[in-house]
Amino acid sequence: MADPSEKSGLRFRVFLQFAVIAFAVPVLLGGGLWLAAQRLGPGAGPPLVLFGGAAGFALIGVIVWVWMRLDTGMVAAIQGLARDLQTLTHSNPEHELRPDPRGHIGALGPAAAATAEALRAARKEVAEEIARATRDADAQKDRLEIILRDLHEGVLICNLDHQILLYNQRALEILHLSGELGLGRSLFSVMNRQPFLHALEQLFNRLAEEEEEEERHELTELVVCATADGRYILEGRVSLIAQPGEAAASGYVVTFEDVTLELATLGQRDRLLSQAIAGLRRPLANLRAATETLTTAELEPEERRAFETVLSSECESLSQHLEKISEEYHDIITGHWPMSDAYSANLLNCVVRRLRDEKRLEATMTGLPVWLRCDSHTVVELLDDIVHRIAAHQGAGAFDLEASAARRRCYIDVCWRGEVIPSAVLDSWIDEVLEQKLGGLTGRDVLERHKSTLWSESHREGWARVRIPLPAPLEDRSRAKRGGRSLGARPEFYDFDLLRRGRAAALGDMPLRELIFVVFDTETTGLEPSNGDEIISIAGVRIVNGRILTGESFSELIDPRRDIPKGSIRFHGITQEMVQGKPPIERVLPRFRDYVGNAVLVAHNAAFDLKFLELKQEACGVAFDNPVLDTVLLSAFLHDHTNQHTLDAVAERFGVAIQGRHTALGDSLVTAGVFIRMLDLLEAQNIRSLGQALEVSERMVEIRRQQARY
Amino acid sequence: MAKRVLIVDDERNIVISLRHLMSKAGYEVLHAGDGEEALAIAESAAPDLVLLDVMIPKRDGYDVCQCMRAMPGLEGTRIVMLTAKGLEVEMEKGLAMGADAYLTKPFSTRDLVATVQSLLGDDRGRPE
Repeated sequence: MADPSEKSGLRFRVFLQFAVIAFAVPVLLGGGLWLAAQRLGPGAGPPLVLFGGAAGFALIGVIVWVWMRLDTGMVAAIQGLARDLQTLTHSNPEHELRPDPRGHIGALGPAAAATAEALRAARKEVAEEIARATRDADAQKDRLEIILRDLHEGVLICNLDHQILLYNQRALEILHLSGELGLGRSLFSVMNRQPFLHALEQLFNRLAEEEEEEERHELTELVVCATADGRYILEGRVSLIAQPGEAAASGYVVTFEDVTLELATLGQRDRLLSQAIAGLRRPLANLRAATETLTTAELEPEERRAFETVLSSECESLSQHLEKISEEYHDIITGHWPMSDAYSANLLNCVVRRLRDEKRLEATMTGLPVWLRCDSHTVVELLDDIVHRIAAHQGAGAFDLEASAARRRCYIDVCWRGEVIPSAVLDSWIDEVLEQKLGGLTGRDVLERHKSTLWSESHREGWARVRIPLPAPLEDRSRAKRGGRSLGARPEFYDFDLLRRGRAAALGDMPLRELIFVVFDTETTGLEPSNGDEIISIAGVRIVNGRILTGESFSELIDPRRDIPKGSIRFHGITQEMVQGKPPIERVLPRFRDYVGNAVLVAHNAAFDLKFLELKQEACGVAFDNPVLDTVLLSAFLHDHTNQHTLDAVAERFGVAIQGRHTALGDSLVTAGVFIRMLDLLEAQNIRSLGQALEVSERMVEIRRQQARY
Repeated sequence: MAKRVLIVDDERNIVISLRHLMSKAGYEVLHAGDGEEALAIAESAAPDLVLLDVMIPKRDGYDVCQCMRAMPGLEGTRIVMLTAKGLEVEMEKGLAMGADAYLTKPFSTRDLVATVQSLLGDDRGRPE
């Protein structure tokens, strides 16, 4: 705002100057006229006073008039302009300059207006520049946050007072902290102090040296420390944050991993080794003494028998000792190789994609994916190598890659139409170096690292496979992630007429084994499609020639254009955010229709899913008239001793591993796994064609319809 | 006519015991010291049972087992694999190669004889 003293100051100064003139004019005029009157004599007095006085008053009038013009025309305009400029500078950058056109300030007004315009433009440019820079900074921050979040290591950034300034989610997990790690908290409230102080001291020394020697050292130091409660052992690195060429650091970064398990494994191995050695000495000493006595001394038959008893009992105890050690050794998979739990679908997909890029061989991922524990990189190299060698050996061009789980381990099978590979040939393959990149590693090295081996055997009619056993995963993920086993299953749907549609007579006589199936599942906002519930996810997986084609699955989230009830989220885990921006049902359903083609549809409690599809058919311009098989009905037919036909119960009976939590794709895969096993049982009951399978389903519908009536 | 057992092992210290045990159980004993010799003897003598060590010279036990399974005339031959490797996957591999039983060294001689007898005793369909 304008300073009031300034404002009055200008007017007052101008007034003062005019006042001086107005004062000086009568004084000087009066003085001049008085001198003239003295000279002219007494007769000149009256006219001089008369004319001089009139001229004086006129002059004063002129001066006052000029002053007033100036005061209103120029001073006020200058003050107005000053006020405007002050407003523009200090408060409103958009304020427009409107110089009073009646003001007598000449070019000053337009000049000020031009300056103001230039100022405005410059300001706008600066503002845009700042906005852009902020956006860039935000984007970089987001990127950094994503990187930090996805890092396998925990990350903490601290200042030199050891206060935590930033951390990632993984850090909380590794430190086993729930909730928040208050920013500004001391690092030493979560990790023990000494290793860090020592590492930092070394780093500061190095930084100081660097300045002296003008040479860049690595400013990172390894630390092994424990969490503050001493329960977990962490291994990590501390790095100083210092600008290049700067001698002072502003803080440090700690990256760390939980090595409790690795160390425990190493410790276990050491303990086992020393046990093995110690356990050998005693029985061996007894054996040696007894044997040497037996062979050198003359003994009575009775004495001899005593020594023989010693021999046999020591041998027995040695054997038992060995058994115990080897059992324990079997469970230790060494920590030095980077073993991790891997999902077979990801692993096999790497191989499938590699082969696809080569365009010479074709590989299909089949079966239900499982979790296993391995060093995935070397396993992928091994599989890739084996597939190529089989192709060269037998001229096979198409392979199925399948993973499966057994009691204590998992298998990866490479299957092809052809002959079993002789053991000697297979052995010669795995003795060759896999890839120079892997440091001259052979297939046998990879297998031994996993305490495994491989072999070839015949598989299905006309098919052979190479089977590679691998360790089972550390965590039992199928149960852990499913979590809500207690969640109620969907109620069985009794609108069975839905299953009767489209009994394609042409397919009726086809053997089940030769048909193509699409096993599908939907997730919905609720159980009442006619009451506004909508599909939010649909997935399917194809079965061709009795193989589940895992790599060709269909899985889509759908925007239901309505709220997802909170209570339903615990069933399907799909939140409003997840469906935001996803296509609506009108776009997804036609694509699913294309995916299904002429296949036979299979679902668990199919009537439920079909009801939803049916209500959407018209709006989407598609029709699902394919034959439908329901695994609930088939289960009721095959296992009539029980009335437990939920997917979880059926999967457990058929020994199919649960795939993750309830998702459309996970449940489709489980249903497919169950269905494949059902085909064998149906065959055993002499149900071989689609027509027969539909017939028994119909019978089950009839029974259930009657049961429902009561 | 006594049933024939072929012992395939290159460790003389165990062969001496195996030979003794088998003949005491009433079997005619043959011996081979490596994989190729084992296949040659198996082809000419068609033994009723083979005690087959995995780690033998020239061709390993798995290889020999798989070849024997493919040989005409040996369809009824029982194969018991013996190994000093204690891994479960090895046992599974042996069974996949066509072995009827799999024993890990060290084994008790009583178990070995019992396994051999049960395998040969079950083999009633053979015209002997």
